[in-house]
Amino acid sequence: MTEPIVHTDQFTGRSAGGDSAGFSVVGTRIRQPDGPAKATGEAKFAGDISLPGMLIGKILRSPYAHAVVKSIDTSRAEALPGVMAILTPDNVAEWDTFDRGMKDMPLVAGGYRVPPEEAVVNKVARHFGDAIAAVAAVDEHTAEEAIELLDVEYEILPFVLDAEEAMQPGAPQVSELAPGNVGKHLFYPYPEGDVDKALAEADLVVSGVFSTHKQDHCTQETAACVAYVDASGRLNVWSQCQLAHLGRRELAHIFRIPVSRIKLMTPFVGGSFGQRGSVCAEPIAVALALRSKRPVRLVFSREDNFLGLESRTGFKSIDIKLGFASDGTLTAIKTSMIGSLGGYMGCGPMSSVIGMTLSMGHYRCPNRFGEAQMVMTNTPVSGAMRGFGNDAMMFCIEQLMDDAARRLGIDPIEIRLKNAKQPGETASMGLELESTYIEDCMRAGAEAFGWYEKRAQPKKDEGPIKRGYGMATMSHCTGAAPLYLEHSNAMVKFNEDGSVDLTVHPAPVGTHIWGALSQICAEELGIRAEDVNIVTGDTDVTLFEYGSDASRSTYAIGGATLRAAHKAKEQMLAHAAEMLEVPAEQLMVRDRVISVEGRPDKTVTVGEVCYDAIYAFGGHATNFAGKQSFEPVWNSPTYGAYFAEVEVNTETGRVRVPRFVTAIDCGKAINPMAVEGQLEGGLQQGLGYALTENFIVNPKTGVVETDNYDSYKVPGTLDMPDSTVIIVDKPDPKGPFGAKGVGEPGMVGIPPCIANAIYDAIGVRLQDLPMTPERVLEALELAGRESA
Amino acid sequence: MKTVATFVVNGHPHEIAVEPHQLLIEVLRDHLGLTGTKHSCGVGNCGACTVLVDGIPKLACLTVAREVRDKPILTIEGLAKDGVLHPLQQAFVDYGAIQCGYCTPGMILTAKALLDGNPDPTEHEVREALAGNICRCTGYVKIVEAVLAAAEVMRKGGN
Repeated sequence: MTEPIVHTDQFTGRSAGGDSAGFSVVGTRIRQPDGPAKATGEAKFAGDISLPGMLIGKILRSPYAHAVVKSIDTSRAEALPGVMAILTPDNVAEWDTFDRGMKDMPLVAGGYRVPPEEAVVNKVARHFGDAIAAVAAVDEHTAEEAIELLDVEYEILPFVLDAEEAMQPGAPQVSELAPGNVGKHLFYPYPEGDVDKALAEADLVVSGVFSTHKQDHCTQETAACVAYVDASGRLNVWSQCQLAHLGRRELAHIFRIPVSRIKLMTPFVGGSFGQRGSVCAEPIAVALALRSKRPVRLVFSREDNFLGLESRTGFKSIDIKLGFASDGTLTAIKTSMIGSLGGYMGCGPMSSVIGMTLSMGHYRCPNRFGEAQMVMTNTPVSGAMRGFGNDAMMFCIEQLMDDAARRLGIDPIEIRLKNAKQPGETASMGLELESTYIEDCMRAGAEAFGWYEKRAQPKKDEGPIKRGYGMATMSHCTGAAPLYLEHSNAMVKFNEDGSVDLTVHPAPVGTHIWGALSQICAEELGIRAEDVNIVTGDTDVTLFEYGSDASRSTYAIGGATLRAAHKAKEQMLAHAAEMLEVPAEQLMVRDRVISVEGRPDKTVTVGEVCYDAIYAFGGHATNFAGKQSFEPVWNSPTYGAYFAEVEVNTETGRVRVPRFVTAIDCGKAINPMAVEGQLEGGLQQGLGYALTENFIVNPKTGVVETDNYDSYKVPGTLDMPDSTVIIVDKPDPKGPFGAKGVGEPGMVGIPPCIANAIYDAIGVRLQDLPMTPERVLEALELAGRESA
Repeated sequence: MKTVATFVVNGHPHEIAVEPHQLLIEVLRDHLGLTGTKHSCGVGNCGACTVLVDGIPKLACLTVAREVRDKPILTIEGLAKDGVLHPLQQAFVDYGAIQCGYCTPGMILTAKALLDGNPDPTEHEVREALAGNICRCTGYVKIVEAVLAAAEVMRKGGN
């Protein structure tokens, strides 16, 4: 008998009204269960795993942006003692090609499939740094030497780096799968009205052509994988994949083996931010293990990470027009995007669809249209990073919203409030909007920042330093329903001391998700968070889990956890009712104790009930356990308001951000400390994306010039603003105990907020990311010439 | 050519045969299995591999192993005493300063060197001391809070 997946049930709507005062575990600032292991060096990451006889893998990457590997002479490398396996494009044909994005699932709207376009190592290098060979050897130095000894003959091909140039007739072809280099021509999946008519009739049209860039995730741990075939012939893989079960499925596909022959384990992962949502080190590590018949550890160098993994999809241009009525009502939005995919499609194309969709989350707008040409170029691959296109769209929309406010003489907060959707209206993905406290975000953020006071002050003369204040808002998804599968599972098992084992498989990438799930579980069961042991990280043990992306883990895996815990609790309370000789409905459980209202004589601990059930001789022994499949087909967006103070040095062009306030409506905060951590960390990534990080490809050679932190500047301790995070903390009707997602929102609203503050400081709009000193000076010079 | 050298790690001497070019990070991770010392950028840009040599922060990915033979080396594994976390470790756990945890060992050891020399630093001094340690998860807010909180505990006589 198959058990139906839950769509709606007694838990949806339960936390409406917000009885958060009654919570004992949810809403508290618990310590993370994995904290001590990480503070002592005990925590094992993939690169820390050692096995007897283990080999070390290394990758040979193309020194050309576009080339055919004519031949690889492996004889010198093979002769080197200690070299155990060599992969070349000619000897990997027994394995299948793949889509590194792993998303070949039906999508409700805007859907497409990416063809299996990539081999384990590739015959045609489609970008600088494309993997064309790999070796496994007894140690790192031998592996490095073997890579040096591979003699490769290349046929160098013409290349194209720029997305707009790639669309021109006669441009070099990046892939035979994309004639004319347009990998995907996609449309905003929820169009409405007649956008051209609405723009023609609008009282005001604000428009601009913006661009964004290819931000690298810069996970502190590089991509890593350990693989070996055990004595029974099963493939054991320690993988960083955010989507463990999809990762296992993809490896089964590539290596043409049944899923049952793969045990995929997830150790701690040193950051992900969307990058490990794709296949990373796994295919080459597994191929080397299969070929050498030895355990293999493959750890990417920092350079490998910049060249061989997906980074944020940059948009060469986003041409966008917003129409307004004279009272500030938004009437139309029309978007045309050109995105750069790099040498493979991967997750990149969806950045446009997701971006256009999510960016329509918080403003009511009756006329909407958008399209995107996602273009292949001979550059490293683009994909998903925190924000997944919403960052790019928000960069444009929130600047234009400010422009409209200024031209219409409306306060920037009031124009946003005027257009903000309300519960019951249609949310970004065509679903009913469940909860929004965007107004609370703006009001609380403005107060903490001193928005009105600062904006009203006359500007002081600070010489070349011009000071400005800006704000922006955003909404983002909580999971990707209905665009992606949202299937999560949880299993809750009571032990005889009243503690529980919670079996789940979120990605342990540092989001404090173990703690949040333990709180949700403990709250439902009436026990403490530390009573919940997280069982995870092994596809042999965990039920199917779509995984951690799209800010979904607390909402979807948390939703499964809540329901599984409830099932286990019902069993436990039924047994307690027998022990106490009262109806189960009269029982309350809190802080590990079961009691009956008005009957102080009738108490028993959860541990006593569990012990009694497990050690029940005479044919009645039972172990309480609940399991739940959960697929939320709804999606309750998270909302945020951001406020920045900037100092623009008009002599150097440098922008400093001394003060930042983030106010967030992520529903009920399961752990406020963890929510703050997501937003504070998002600020670092948003600040880098806005100002200093820049993935540079040499336009003449196609060589990637930014391959480490000395050429690619991520913000350090001294670059960070004084930061305040405000959590509005009002429950959503459908999230577990009222929670919504909070992973991505931390960074989505930051670039436009800083851009709006820069405009306030110097009266110039910066429409291209990153807003480097050079661009600030150029913009100032242009503005000076225009006004002269 | 390999030569045997003594490495005094976390109070224990180890005789290890090392190549002239071998790096301290290899000795720690590959020979001694002390994988708490993390490899990240490989060129001294990020601080993930920081250990203390004679109490001074050193980047293990740039330090030739033989240069630090016979000197006291402290890695993250040597910081907790008798199963009790060092105040810095405890504060990192308590204040939510650890997300993915990959930068944590280097952060904690860099902070230890700061506090050993300056028990009562200002927030700015903490930020300056940690300026060479990259964290991609936390935005540094809770890390700085944790260091300041640990400093207070240590001033009051915590180990």
